[in-house]
Amino acid sequence: MKTGPRRSQWQMLASSLFLAFVCAPLYAQTIQDQIMIPRKTLFTGTVYSYDSWDHYWEGTLKRINGNIGTVTTQSVTWSGNYGITDRLDVIAMVPYVWTNTSQGVLHGQKGFQDLTLAAKFNFLEIPFTKGGRLRAIAVLSGGIPLTDYNPDFQPLSIGFASKQIATRLTLNFQANRGWFLNGSTAYTWRANVTLDRPYYFTENQLFLSNEVAMPNVFDYVVAAGYLKNGLMAQGSFWQQRTLGGGDIRRQDIPFVSNRMNFSKVGGLVMYPLPKLSGLAFRVTFGYTVDGRNVGQSTTISTGLMYTLHLEKSSRK
Amino acid sequence: MRNPSYRFVAAATAFALVIMGSSCNKALPATEQLPVLTPAGSDATAGSWRMIVLTGPTQIAVPPPAAVSDPSYQAELASIKSSQANLTTEQHTAIDYWNGGGVLRWNEILRELVARADLPPAPRPDGTYPVPDPNNPFADPQFPFGNPPYAARAYSYVSVAQFEALKVAWYYKFLYKRPSPFKVDSGITPLMPDSNVPSYPSEDAVVSAVNETLLKLLFPTSVDEITQKAAEHRQSALLSGRAAASDIAAGVALGRAVAAVFAARASSDGMKAAGGTAAQWQALADAATARGETPWLSQEIPPRPPMLPFFGKVKAWMMTPTDIVNERPAAPPSTSSSQMQQELAEVKHAVENLTRDQLATVYFWADGVSTPTPPGHWNAIAMPYLSNAKFSEVRTARALALLNMALHDAAVGCWDAKYAYFNPRPSQLDPSIKTVIGLPNFPSYTSGHSTFSAAAAEVLSYLFPSGASNFDAMKEEAALSRLYGGIHYRSDIEVGKDHGKRIAGYTVRFAQQDGAD
Repeated sequence: MKTGPRRSQWQMLASSLFLAFVCAPLYAQTIQDQIMIPRKTLFTGTVYSYDSWDHYWEGTLKRINGNIGTVTTQSVTWSGNYGITDRLDVIAMVPYVWTNTSQGVLHGQKGFQDLTLAAKFNFLEIPFTKGGRLRAIAVLSGGIPLTDYNPDFQPLSIGFASKQIATRLTLNFQANRGWFLNGSTAYTWRANVTLDRPYYFTENQLFLSNEVAMPNVFDYVVAAGYLKNGLMAQGSFWQQRTLGGGDIRRQDIPFVSNRMNFSKVGGLVMYPLPKLSGLAFRVTFGYTVDGRNVGQSTTISTGLMYTLHLEKSSRK
Repeated sequence: MRNPSYRFVAAATAFALVIMGSSCNKALPATEQLPVLTPAGSDATAGSWRMIVLTGPTQIAVPPPAAVSDPSYQAELASIKSSQANLTTEQHTAIDYWNGGGVLRWNEILRELVARADLPPAPRPDGTYPVPDPNNPFADPQFPFGNPPYAARAYSYVSVAQFEALKVAWYYKFLYKRPSPFKVDSGITPLMPDSNVPSYPSEDAVVSAVNETLLKLLFPTSVDEITQKAAEHRQSALLSGRAAASDIAAGVALGRAVAAVFAARASSDGMKAAGGTAAQWQALADAATARGETPWLSQEIPPRPPMLPFFGKVKAWMMTPTDIVNERPAAPPSTSSSQMQQELAEVKHAVENLTRDQLATVYFWADGVSTPTPPGHWNAIAMPYLSNAKFSEVRTARALALLNMALHDAAVGCWDAKYAYFNPRPSQLDPSIKTVIGLPNFPSYTSGHSTFSAAAAEVLSYLFPSGASNFDAMKEEAALSRLYGGIHYRSDIEVGKDHGKRIAGYTVRFAQQDGAD
């Protein structure tokens, strides 16, 4: 497995992974970032993520809750990212998630969450004679629950159990000296969710249905960092706005269609392991600075990604 | 490279658009889909049906109406005609809504009010809990906390009061025999079905006034919505040509007079003392310890006072305080007994080995915070049966009164047992037991769900014998869901079902001889 020709550092860096956090589906760094996988190359690996919070926003009121204490969401996610061409990648991700609380009597949940499939297309590339190049990348992704998990036990449910489709546009400026700047924005459509109960109360209304309309989601990320010779380091700011949904009422439990907003800051370091061709180590960090109907989570993830070339004569 | 890439992206986009189209959000029903209610019978003798709280129909005086030839009545008819010529879309929509049946619609509104109020107070920073204040209902915490006993009592007050008021209304309707405006004047179009009962006093006005008066007392923070719904109900009866302004005025006066009788009863039924004091809570725990049992402890953090520990002393409808004590189940297995160890092990095994179907059952019946509560769930279960039965308003009101009297008495009896024994929850005796739904903050024995469900199934089986096997299956499922959820032992459930059925027997025996069958 490790006998393939050594690739450029750039390729190894492309095995960036997940900025996993409490919201579902687990968000994919691969989908947000600027990195394209070369033709007939597979980057695959597994990432472990640890997310926890004790403060959360009940609507806009920040509080703690003794009946849950600290809520921890851990996950192990397999991902694969394959270059169909140098400009078109396909991505797949499968997370296994487990949750628990530090206090109270509530039972943690666990299971396979949602399968995410994505196509990432670098449709525009403008080289500058001096300095670097500008690229535009479009991503179309879809998510579908892998198991019949219960989305009605927030915040301990492993996800929202909603099918979804997202379109994303990323602009990237990469300087020849290594510095880069990214801006990325996405719109996510979410399908109705079916509960096991015949009615539910949200947005000050009793709905006489087991079906919940899920508001769509808008998000954007800005990231700046350094990417050269196998090393990547970046800082990012990420905002999500849910375009509808109700607030958690005073002392109520969260609901699947709540208006979940957040602003997070994050960091990422990628490092190709010396003497181990094709293996790269990655660690990320995320912190929620502001939110609404979400936990103020701190997230750490770490993983190893492996580069596999499926074509003997490598292209440059 | 470019062409294949573009083709791939185009195909993927097309695929995505197809999926998006198929998963487009549908409009979700926020109101019951009720067919137009055309009563099959008029129940002309309902004025002589046995009363529950009132002494008889003439306890409330309703003066005779003006003759249909009277100029004041003719002016009312003319007003309806001119209004019908200028109906707005909103007015048409309102008439369609109330065409589902006034009693059924108010039950639906009440379930929403309960769900809105069904939130426990948040703890203060010092770890104590504030008590909702009826004199300051909009504060945090809002008044009321619409928990299951509060809800059971609310459903019953409204249901019994409107049943009594409609029996009075029926008495006067068939005494005065004033026809509906659309029968007096062919120039008035009937926009609601003909209920085939005289229109003075208006049954829609009676129902709207009883509900408006009592719901404002029970759920004061929703006063605006209640006022608006009541006005809309009365206006729809008027615009539809079913009732004239004087029919409605007489109905409102009657409804308010009956509601006042029930408001007076509610103010002295023991509810105000049901929360108890810190000394009383401690005495309950001490009594359990003195019996050699492990007393119940709140497992909320910070510990919350038990929910309405003296609700068992609140006045019941069909049972005397002696009946409540006489029907109290025998003591649960001792907390130190081997039977309790076995039952504890059964709960733990169940919750750790839940199938997906069992989990669905737990959630279907969870009825926790922000829901109409178990009594409301059983009202919802009754809805399609009531709607399909095409009862007159007074007979629909009777069915809901019977159901909700039994549910209230079940709440009183169950809470009496819970605090007589003060038995701990499974997760208290074995902290390794974790629950898949919120843990109710009151003692375990007996199961409220089991008691409510058995009582409701018993009354509904009396009313709708063809549905008996269905009600029985739902009762069994609701009761067992609490074991799957990790919050009740099997003996809580089995004894609770038996208790609920015996409690409902009091209501069914009343119904069998109230003159309506």
